[in-house]
Parts: sequence; structure tokens; C-alpha cells
Amino acid sequence: MTEVKQPPLPTEEQLSKEFKEYSVAEFFKRNRQMLGYSGKVRSLTTIIHEAISNSLDAAEEAGVLPDIYVEIQELPDGHIKVITEDNGTGVPKKNIGQAFGKLLAGTKFHQMKQKRGQQGIGISYAVLFSQLTTGKNTHVKSGIGDHKVYECDLAIDVKSNSPVIINEKEYSKNYRGIRIEFEFSEVTYNRSEYSVYEYLRRTALANPHCQITLVEPNKEVIVFPRAVKEVPAKPKAVQPHPLGITTSDLIEMAHASTSRKIASFLTSEFSRFSADKVKEIATLIPDVNFDRAPRALTWPEAEKIVNTIQKLKWIAPETDAMIPIGESHIEKSLKNLLQPDELKVIERKPKVFRGGIPFLVEAAIAYGGKAGANIGGQTKAEVLRYANRTPLLFDAGSCATMEAVKNIDWNRYDLKDWENQPISIFINLVSIHVPYTGAGKMAVSPEDEIVQEMRNAIMDCARQVSIYLHAMQKAEEQEQRRQIFFKYIGEVAEALHDITGKPQKDLQDKLRKIAEKRTALMEAMDEEAEKAEVEDLDEEAEKEIQDE
Amino acid sequence: MGKNIHMAKTENKSKTQTPEEKREEMQTKISQLGSELVKEVDAGDNLHIDIPVRGSANVLFDEKQKKILLGDKMSKRYLFNVAHARRFMQTMLVASYVKKDLLGNNLTATLRDLYYAKKRTIKGFKEDTIDEQKESDLAIVDLEVAMDSFRERLHLRAEPKGRMAGDLTVLDRVRDKVDSIDLSRMGSGGWAVPSIVEQIEFKDVGIEYVLVAEKNAIFDRLNEDGYWKKNKCLLMTTAGQAARGARRLLQRISTELKIPCYCLTDSDPYGWYIYSTMKYGSMALAHESNRLGCPDLKFLGMSTSDIEHYDLRNVTIKAKEVDIKRAEEMKAYAWFKTKEWQSEIDLFLEKKLKAEIQALSSKSLQYISNTYLPEKIKNQDFLP
Repeated sequence: MTEVKQPPLPTEEQLSKEFKEYSVAEFFKRNRQMLGYSGKVRSLTTIIHEAISNSLDAAEEAGVLPDIYVEIQELPDGHIKVITEDNGTGVPKKNIGQAFGKLLAGTKFHQMKQKRGQQGIGISYAVLFSQLTTGKNTHVKSGIGDHKVYECDLAIDVKSNSPVIINEKEYSKNYRGIRIEFEFSEVTYNRSEYSVYEYLRRTALANPHCQITLVEPNKEVIVFPRAVKEVPAKPKAVQPHPLGITTSDLIEMAHASTSRKIASFLTSEFSRFSADKVKEIATLIPDVNFDRAPRALTWPEAEKIVNTIQKLKWIAPETDAMIPIGESHIEKSLKNLLQPDELKVIERKPKVFRGGIPFLVEAAIAYGGKAGANIGGQTKAEVLRYANRTPLLFDAGSCATMEAVKNIDWNRYDLKDWENQPISIFINLVSIHVPYTGAGKMAVSPEDEIVQEMRNAIMDCARQVSIYLHAMQKAEEQEQRRQIFFKYIGEVAEALHDITGKPQKDLQDKLRKIAEKRTALMEAMDEEAEKAEVEDLDEEAEKEIQDE
Repeated sequence: MGKNIHMAKTENKSKTQTPEEKREEMQTKISQLGSELVKEVDAGDNLHIDIPVRGSANVLFDEKQKKILLGDKMSKRYLFNVAHARRFMQTMLVASYVKKDLLGNNLTATLRDLYYAKKRTIKGFKEDTIDEQKESDLAIVDLEVAMDSFRERLHLRAEPKGRMAGDLTVLDRVRDKVDSIDLSRMGSGGWAVPSIVEQIEFKDVGIEYVLVAEKNAIFDRLNEDGYWKKNKCLLMTTAGQAARGARRLLQRISTELKIPCYCLTDSDPYGWYIYSTMKYGSMALAHESNRLGCPDLKFLGMSTSDIEHYDLRNVTIKAKEVDIKRAEEMKAYAWFKTKEWQSEIDLFLEKKLKAEIQALSSKSLQYISNTYLPEKIKNQDFLP
């Protein structure tokens, strides 16, 4: 297992200690950077990320095409007001408090399926962050499609980690979805590569079935239009596989479990976890009492269980729970938003990492058009990183995607200077257990198998782009050749006429025909040479893949 | 080696042909080239001109004739080839200008005239037919070698350069006018050698040898001193690298009057090069060596050993890196392989010193006229 390397994070021992001493809300108040609330731009992006992830999941749940609205306002007092609205399932009145006003209690928590957010902290922490930075309540409007609308203002009681709801009102109206309005300070809006704008652009790229509207503080309205009208298949809800679990996952699940004993918690909430397996583990770690209540599970105990799980043999998890975006949807999406000159999309077959966790990689390279990032007026390459369609904007340095991109010999694909080219490299890791490098969930741990798959996928795409670049270069050379041939015909015909007395027009016409013929001849010759070149390229690439 | 040598045939014929015949011959040659190209146009083939390869790859040194000559390697220049197209077009411009405008009207022109006559913007393109004169000059040489001929036959003149003084009368013609010119009555400036000298005839020869000075200043010094009168010689300056007219005339004097010719340059690799070009021809114009080379020319000075012998040590110049490099290159040339030149170059490489002829003025102004030259010639103190 790859170790988590994030200096500001507390050690596991500290974590364990602090879990005991404070309420969950208190704990996260003191460790906000763990959840992505570090830096003014990043904090705002994290808030949007939490809201949008929920919106997309809710639309998927409802089986509708998501319409997502985000508005950012700069208030006179320097605060930033954020409004998000979707057309998803909405949240029933009785669950609003749980969903928005209590950390670690989200609706998603007990379901294990391929989804965007992975824990129930996200949106509640945004509510808490608003409260901590401005002292203001969050306004929520919700409708589940039963002709009733519910609105309230909401806060979190930090000491008890419980919701405080005021100003409730209910009225009749045809409305389905959620609208959240909250205010923040210590956040900034801009259009940098870590911004809300970029986050939404990338979300739109990986979710072509959704339409996103962004209203910026200057009232500029940006629409990322929908590219496909099919709702993606609903991911199958599966229980987590033991091999995919981390210590903190196990703690969180155990503390939220309704099982009476740790043993029954394990067998009932994980897939492939039989009573025999529990016994097998219990014999290996006799000091852990599996008859105790899961709520009492300590960090050291959880750690021992997780470590022992890694030593045993397990039946592999089901793979049919993975839902990729799909080659045709990625293609439509990238064409829709990037209008590239050349595009290659690839979906690799499922593979496993950590000895049994299934995953698959989807990748694409878009070249030309609006592909690439515009940094200071200059076109640069961009790497669009995703885990289960969710954009990964931060911590690129430690991410498997970047490891894969950097390990490619771009020279081989005539892209030596790829970082300064109009290129968008799109990589989506699909897995029920995405191995994130940290609690911020912004980078994929560089597991060997994952990096290798990403690398192969990008190389497949790069090959196509290389062929395109070759063709373009040849076409340009051909055009130059044609130009050169035709350029001098007039002069030569005149000179030949002066020397021989033959009619100039006739000479010129005949020379034109020869020029046309010779250009075509060269083209044929070049095509053969080019074909051989491409074959060499493919051979080399195949060798490289085999070598590893 | 003999079979590799071009030009020999033209050389022999020129003596018997009238100017009109020469003109017609060249017009016919260019017309033939045109007809071959038209055949290719009609057949739908790529147009090409056969051109002997120029440059060091196709240059031979004929030791018996003492001439740098062009070998028989040929190359094809195509119209429909990205690398050749522009030059092909330029060669065609030169051919049509020569045939129609010059030979057709019996006019001669300078290289620069041709450059301006054919320089224009190509219709529909942002490109000129010729950018720099160097391009048309090279196209001219292409046509010369392709026609197995030389520039003067194309009625093209180089810039005239070089002057003469001495007891010699020549006949020159401008169209139908014939002038008799007494080279002993040309005053302080001497007679300017024209760029085309084929028409010159020699009359009243009172000279016993020719002294060619690289430098104008030396010509003026010796002319002022009446050196040519006292020593019965024809005094000549090339004013640097010798022009074609001066080289051709020197060759004709050497072969037709059968008198010795001596060369006087600075003591440095550049001086040797000026000398070797006059004597053997050059790699760049190897196809013209037969007309322009003067194999009997001797190198009178100034030599590196003169520096010691005439005690000029204090008025020398230290050789630069580029001089050393040039000397080493020249040492490897076949035409510098004689024992005498090898030891001259070795001595230079050892001493690393250059000297100008004017260094002799450190003795006295007339030292060159009264002591240096008479002594050198009397002692036959020269390099081959």
C-alpha cells in the first residue's frame, strides 16, 4: 500500500486521540485543510465541488439529465455568496438536518457504489465553513416533486455535531431539486486553473449528460452545454470489498454501524466477508475483541484489522459495478466543448490493483481547437484528471495521472514540446475504491497497476495524434511543394518562348499539367514513406509496452 | 585524365571563328537546349538541364598542363524539384536574356545589367525572380558550364580591373572602330585592361618580360620610377584578385609573345592565392582555366625567406589564426605540392609572419625599383 504523504495532516495516532477528545465537528474545525479548505481559491472550489457532487449523484438517482446552476456574488462587505441549484431528487424535509447539519451522517454513507463524493462530510462542512467564516446560516430550499417546497435556515451546533434549523416554511409549488445559498469569507473567485470556473468546465467535460450554468461575480453567464441526452446507467450499489478499505474508512463505517458486534458489522457491511474470514482474522490478532460493539472500535484496532485483511486471500470484487463514461460519450463531450482538430479516445479493459480491486482507465487526447489551457495568453497543455468523473484539481504532483504522463517519451510521438502545445489530456479512473492520496480526495495514489494502465491509454491516444501531426506536416509540405512548382511556371514558360518561339500559353498550360502530376507523384511517394514511419512508430511503442 | 577535360575543343576553334560565327554558334546551342526542354514539356516529363558538377568534388589538377580543371561529373537540374526549381528558373532567365537580348542584338552587358534586367516580382507571388546578384551570377556560371562555354561568349562582361604600362602597342576594337594604343604613353595611370580582350592584337613589342603586381600602389611606385622603361618590361597591376580580362590578357601575352611573366604579391596566404589563381585557375571557375590560366607565371615575391634576406623582420605582421588555417589548407592543394612551395609554406607556418611589399619602403622609397626587383630577377630568385 502506498503511504499517504501530506505533511500538514496529523498522524494516525493524533487522529485517533483527537477523535476521542472532540466531537467530529470540533475535530474538522481544527483540521480544515484535510477537507480541501486551504487557500482562498481552493476553499471556494471545494465548496462548489461538494455541492455539485451531490447534485450529480442526486440527478443520477432520480434518473434525470442534470441541470446545474451556480452563481457567485461578491457582496459589498467582501463576503462571497454562493448559490447552487439542481433538478435532482431533492431532500425530504425530515432529512435536511442530517444531510446539511451533521458531519459524517450523509445519505450516501451506507451505500457503497461508484460515486463522486465518498463520505458524508462534504456539504455539511461547507455549511460549517460558512458559519465559521461569516457567522451566518445557510439557506436551503428543497422539493422532492410532491408539489411541496420546503425552505429553512440552518446551522450546526459544533459541540454536539447536530443541526440547528430556524425560519422553516413550507408552501405548494411544483419544484424538484435543491437550492443552497450560503456566504463565505476567506475565499476568492478567479479563473485560475484551480478555480470554480475550471472545476465546472472539467465537470462538464466528464459529464456530457449535464448542463452547467455559471454566473460569475461580474454577471457574466457561462453555459457548458449538454452534449448527450442519455442518463448514465445507475451504478450498482455494492458493499465495499475488504481489500479496498482503509483504516479511516473502517473507523467511519464502524462508528455509524447499527450492528451489535464488530464481527457481524464486518460480515454484514462488506462483500466477500464470511464468518470464516472473521475467525481467520481473529486468530491472527487475538488481542482484538470482535464481540464488542463497532462504535467502540479504536484506531489501533482498526489498523490491525486492515493490515490483516491485506494478508489474506479474497474472492475478487464484482466488476459490473463500474460505470465508465464510455468512448462515445467522451468523444461527444470533448468535441462539444473543445472542438479539437484531432481527438482520440480509449477505454481500457478492467484491471485490478492491490491484488484484487477492480478499476479501469478511460483516456483521451484532444489536439488543436480549444484544447489546452490558456496561461497568460499562451497555449499550454493541460491534464484533465478525474476519479469517477470528478475533476481532480489539486495535488497534481502526487497523482498517478501525472506520474503516467511524465513517464511517456513524448518525443516519440513528435510531441517533444507537448507542454506548450494545444493539448488536453483527459484521464478518468473508474473504480469503486479510488485510492486517493489524502482525505482531500484530489489525487490518485500512484499504484503501479493504475499508473501502467493510464500510461498505456495515453500512449494509445498519443499515437493517433502523432499520425495526425505527421499528416498535417506532410500536407503542409505538399502545399509548399505545389506552390514552389507553380510559382516558377510563368517565368520558365516566358523564357522558353523567348528562346524557342513556341507559344507561351501552350507551354504554360503543359507545364501546369506536369506540375500537377509531379506533385501528386511526390504525394504518393511520401505516403509510402509516411506509412513506413508510422509502422516503425507502432513497432517501437509496442516494444516499449512489452519491455515493462 | 585527358578525357576528363572540357573546353579544349572550344579553345582550338576560337582562333579561326569570326565574331559572327561565334555568336551564331552560341545562339544555336541555347536554341538546342530550348528545343530539348520543349520536347520534355510535350512529353509531360520533368524538365532538366545537364550541368557539370562544380566545386571541389569535381575539380582535378592536371600536373602536365599545370591547370585546375573541371572533371566529368554531371548533375541534372530539374524544374520540378523543390531544391532546384528556383535556380532552374533563374538559369532559364539568363539563357533567354543572353540569346534574345544580348546575342540577338549583338550587345554585351555586365553581370549587374543582367541582374537588373531579370529581377522582378513573380506574378501572383510575393517573391522576386532574383534577390541578390550572387544568385544570377551563379545561374550565369551554370549556363556557361552547361553550354560548355564561357562568359565572354555569352556576351557578358565582368567589371574591368587592372592596368598596364610598357613598351607595347595593342590594337583594340569597339564594334567597327579600331584603336591603336601605345602602352608606353599612358601617363601616370596606365592603360585600363578591358573586361573582354579577345579582340586585342599585339603590335610593336619592345618588352622582355611581364611584371604583375597585386597592388595598385606598387604599380604606381614602379610606374613613377620608370621601372618598366629601364628594365624593358610590361608593368601590370591586378588590383587584388585578378579580373577575367586581366587574366586572359596575361595568358595571351605569355603564350603569344612567349616572354616570362613574374608575379609580385604580399608575403601571406592571400598573396599566394592571387598568384595561384592567375597561374593555375581556381576551383570556382575550373571550367575556365584553359582560357584564363597562365601556367608559366613565376612567383617573384615576396617570399617568407625574403623577410630574412632583406632584413625586414622589424616591419612584419604577426600571422592570425585564419592565416595559419588558410596556409595549412593551401599546403594540401595539389598545385602547391612542389618542393619549393611546400618548404615556403612550412617556413611561414614556422615563423608565423606576414609582410607587405611596401615593407621594402622601410629601406627607402625606391629600394624596390633599384635593388629588390633587379636583384631578384637577375638571380632568378622565384618560386615555381
